[in-house]
Amino acid sequence: MQQEQQHHSPPAVSLRPFSLSESDVAAVMTWASDPRVTRFQRRGPFTSKDDARRYIADHILPHPWYRAICVGGRRVVGSITVKPAGAERHRASIGYRLAYDYWGRGIATAALGAAVSAVSEEWPDLERLEAVADVENPASQRVLEKAGFRREGVLRKYVMLKGESRDVVMYSLLATDNKL
Amino acid sequence: MDQDQEETQIITLRRFELSDVDDYMVWASDDRVTAFCRWDSYTNKEDLLRYMQEVVLPHPWYRAICLDGQPIGALSVELGVGCDRCKGELGYVLAAGHWGKGYATAAVKTVVASIFKEVEGLERVEALVLVENKGSQRVLEKAGFKREGVLRKTMVLKGRTVDLVMFSFISTDPLVD
Repeated sequence: MQQEQQHHSPPAVSLRPFSLSESDVAAVMTWASDPRVTRFQRRGPFTSKDDARRYIADHILPHPWYRAICVGGRRVVGSITVKPAGAERHRASIGYRLAYDYWGRGIATAALGAAVSAVSEEWPDLERLEAVADVENPASQRVLEKAGFRREGVLRKYVMLKGESRDVVMYSLLATDNKL
Repeated sequence: MDQDQEETQIITLRRFELSDVDDYMVWASDDRVTAFCRWDSYTNKEDLLRYMQEVVLPHPWYRAICLDGQPIGALSVELGVGCDRCKGELGYVLAAGHWGKGYATAAVKTVVASIFKEVEGLERVEALVLVENKGSQRVLEKAGFKREGVLRKTMVLKGRTVDLVMFSFISTDPLVD
């Protein structure tokens, strides 16, 4: 399922906000309608463009930090979100999802790096970024490890996923970890 | 072993009443107790009465830890709302004069023996403990909780960010006798 990275140079990944344009709606549908991608997401799979349109309007646009993952400056291949844990913004959690055809090329790792840099600047009080990966999702665990996140432990039955409680691995990246 | 059993029998949990305020004040005003808590020691009874009225009494899972029927501490489980109905967070405090006698362990054992039957959909009770709070970590271990890991800088406690140890008890875990 996963291909080894075939490119020698890291992919040119950039992040930008979403809009309600038809192309953004179509992009969201690419991964949000794919059960291989939505398997470990709370929502989906979507069955119609209206689902995606409504999701952009009701969830993406009002979200504190939701970005489209772009490759080569144009093509939207996934999304990445950072959600502050409270009003103080000392802690936030990251989530991401990528269209299946773009797995295994280092894109998610690059997007994570870009997101970490961006929110670290925007939220100066940020000390901890965390992310969870399902115990049955080793690809996502590898992405987080490659992005420099540290594995803290397995939290049993920590999240509900499509009506079922799941064990997840908790990862964190501290502002102090990121020191150059 | 016999001594543990005797102490387990005399620790009971019940709902609070406003008339418990004087007993509640004993631990709620004690800096030794509140040092590890997110809240500051209470300095007057009116503030505590208001807290009991607004938070404690209407709470779905807030209990007095009683020794021979008299409150010596408090225990609460914050139930997950919305997406994560499967989990609840346990917190407890005990008056300092009753530390080191197994009372908190007995109270926590009572909770995990009953709460999964009482709360529909609950599968996980978790507790977060300061890395330095070895006493509380021992309470949870003796009550059968599993230590899952350290969550680094996960909470701001009285102006400083702290590392917390995550413990959990799953509905299918064995009860410790």
